[in-house]
Amino acid sequence: MPDTTTSTASQAEPEAPAPAPVDQRRRGLPWWANPRVGLVAVVVALVAIFSGLRPSFLDVDLTLVPMQADITVFVVVGLAQLAVLSLGHMNLAVPRMAALSAFAAGFTYDKLHAPLVVGLLAALLVGTLVGALAGGIITWTGVNSFVVTLALDFGLLGLVALLYSWFTSGVAFSLHPDGMDALRSDTFNDYCAGPICGPPVPLVVPIAVVALVVVGVLFRFSRLGREILMCGSNARAALLSGIPVSRRVIQAHALSGLLCGLAGWLLAINNGAFSASVGENFLLPSFLAPVLGGTLLAGGAVSVVGTLLGAILNSVIQKGLNLLQFEVDQLQIYIGVVLLVALSLDRVRHVLADRRGVRP
Amino acid sequence: MVVARISPHRRTRGVVAVVGLTCLALTAAGCSKRATPAAGGSATGKTAAQVKVALVPGGPHPYFQPWKGAGVQAKTDFGLGETTFNETSGWDQTKQNDVIKSLAAQGYNAFGIFGVSPDNINSTFTDLEKQGFQVASLASCPAGNKNAAAFCLSTDVESAAYKAAKAAIEAMGGKGNLVHLTGNKVDSNTQRRIVGVQKAVDEAGGKVVLVQTITDIDVDLQSAQKAVADLLAARGKDVQGIVTTAYNPAVAAAAGVKQAGLSTKVVAIDDDKTILAGISDGSVSATVTQNPVGQGYVGSYVLMKLSTGCTMKQPGLVVDSGSFVVTKANVATYDTQRQARTTELKKAFDTDYLSCG
Repeated sequence: MPDTTTSTASQAEPEAPAPAPVDQRRRGLPWWANPRVGLVAVVVALVAIFSGLRPSFLDVDLTLVPMQADITVFVVVGLAQLAVLSLGHMNLAVPRMAALSAFAAGFTYDKLHAPLVVGLLAALLVGTLVGALAGGIITWTGVNSFVVTLALDFGLLGLVALLYSWFTSGVAFSLHPDGMDALRSDTFNDYCAGPICGPPVPLVVPIAVVALVVVGVLFRFSRLGREILMCGSNARAALLSGIPVSRRVIQAHALSGLLCGLAGWLLAINNGAFSASVGENFLLPSFLAPVLGGTLLAGGAVSVVGTLLGAILNSVIQKGLNLLQFEVDQLQIYIGVVLLVALSLDRVRHVLADRRGVRP
Repeated sequence: MVVARISPHRRTRGVVAVVGLTCLALTAAGCSKRATPAAGGSATGKTAAQVKVALVPGGPHPYFQPWKGAGVQAKTDFGLGETTFNETSGWDQTKQNDVIKSLAAQGYNAFGIFGVSPDNINSTFTDLEKQGFQVASLASCPAGNKNAAAFCLSTDVESAAYKAAKAAIEAMGGKGNLVHLTGNKVDSNTQRRIVGVQKAVDEAGGKVVLVQTITDIDVDLQSAQKAVADLLAARGKDVQGIVTTAYNPAVAAAAGVKQAGLSTKVVAIDDDKTILAGISDGSVSATVTQNPVGQGYVGSYVLMKLSTGCTMKQPGLVVDSGSFVVTKANVATYDTQRQARTTELKKAFDTDYLSCG
């Protein structure tokens, strides 16, 4: 998996203090100057603190397995936002794109009695189409992505509620297709070949791994991904270089929609129902994971591994503070404080790197 | 300078192949499924002192505050090991699952849960039971006909909404325009309330028209106040009755109608001080109160009984914790009626619903 920030922005020449010695640059960055290393250090430190205070933080069945399932969803949600952050755009319709996709999956299971994978494909298709629609509107009207996706989110909110009221007796599909319950509750540890059983990793985890790898490969190695990043870095320069900017914008939004579809499907599987409330709390986490991980809001640079680490950091903080059993108000304050401390530590590492003349 | 490095296609294909093989290996890892031991140990056979009850509402809401005291009282009265009240779920099912699992990791072994999403909560209940925990669905039952928890002790929301709408129609003199204010539209409890109100309107034989059902205004008091202000400004004089089936809209409607000096009849829900004051001064016609104390107290008691070896005669039984119409006539005495219902509930579990052989 590509493990560095993928960027087409010019590798800015360091201003004063003096640039790093040429031989150091040639060797690449020292390991500690990599932003992802800072995040890993913060995550490791928090795990050590939380497990010291509450040994149950390391309880496999009650802490580590559910945490992995949560991270699975929030990594994909983060990637959905990352796909458009690459352009310097935003997708405020992440929650409802996920909800509509989950509806599509639920519909195929409940009404068409389709197998699990067909519903997944339906969710991905619907997500992609809605994402492409958002990209198309942004391209054709020239209206800011913030406004377009916000309006789309409102529209889809009503549509999802209407669709559920038309096709279900309430606000959810009750049918669970074959394999859904196993996918939700089993880990590889539940399956054994003779005496050897798999690791305590939920069955849904590989799905997020595939999404991470595909998005990572796309932005790191493929022409399409690099061109999307160029559009995010400088749309005019990209256009003058012969890149079809409009098409790339639509494609990036379609990718975002596809990942929303996957996230909605995963959340429905994890929570056990394809309901209208799927995705309603996706918006903040969708920004949190990529931005914590080093993806720029301005576009042109994304970090897929950073998004994974951002999602892990967020989940570790939530889980640790939950185990410490704070009251609701205290919990919110501590989440804010821990996030600030975590980011400040990263900033300290940045400053140190700058002083030594190496720029991450 | 813009650097766009485009790798050879062969390299991309290589990466994709490795990814594909890894995925195949991961999915092929399972050959036979084994039975997993329950993380919470045996669900039964504990002493009362070993039972640690966690009462987990869907998020912070005034309705659930009596659970705190009810849990503490249950601990004292029944000799429970521990009780706690945790409202940090933030109305997010994923977070609630996380909170419950965290409490389980901390040693809590019996759960009284108000599920954020009635459509999803059966899956959470099933998981917990598989892991050896006792589970009760409190204040709300799962959507559909199945309850995967040991029992559900809640207000029958459809019946409570029906009673409230009946009271409103009676206060309106049996005719006129009625508005229904309620909570989250994509919550199946709201759908049940809508059905309850509609049933009462249908029974009025066309003399009462349900002109509007306003949903999604129970998030906080401000949004409810805004919705009430908009409603009264737009059609205040054309509305003869307002029935509310959620806490914040009830408080907002009681205050809004009184402030505007309209003759609109308001039937509220729950017993916030504003509402009770409104009933006393006549600006609120009636309110339908529920029994959160009974849910927390009797819920904890039954969880203890189940953990110490009793079983439900009918697993998943739904028990109505009671709803009470409060008017000016009984505003001073309704709590006695509610306490009597709580005592009655505990007795009904002991004699009719539990099997403790």
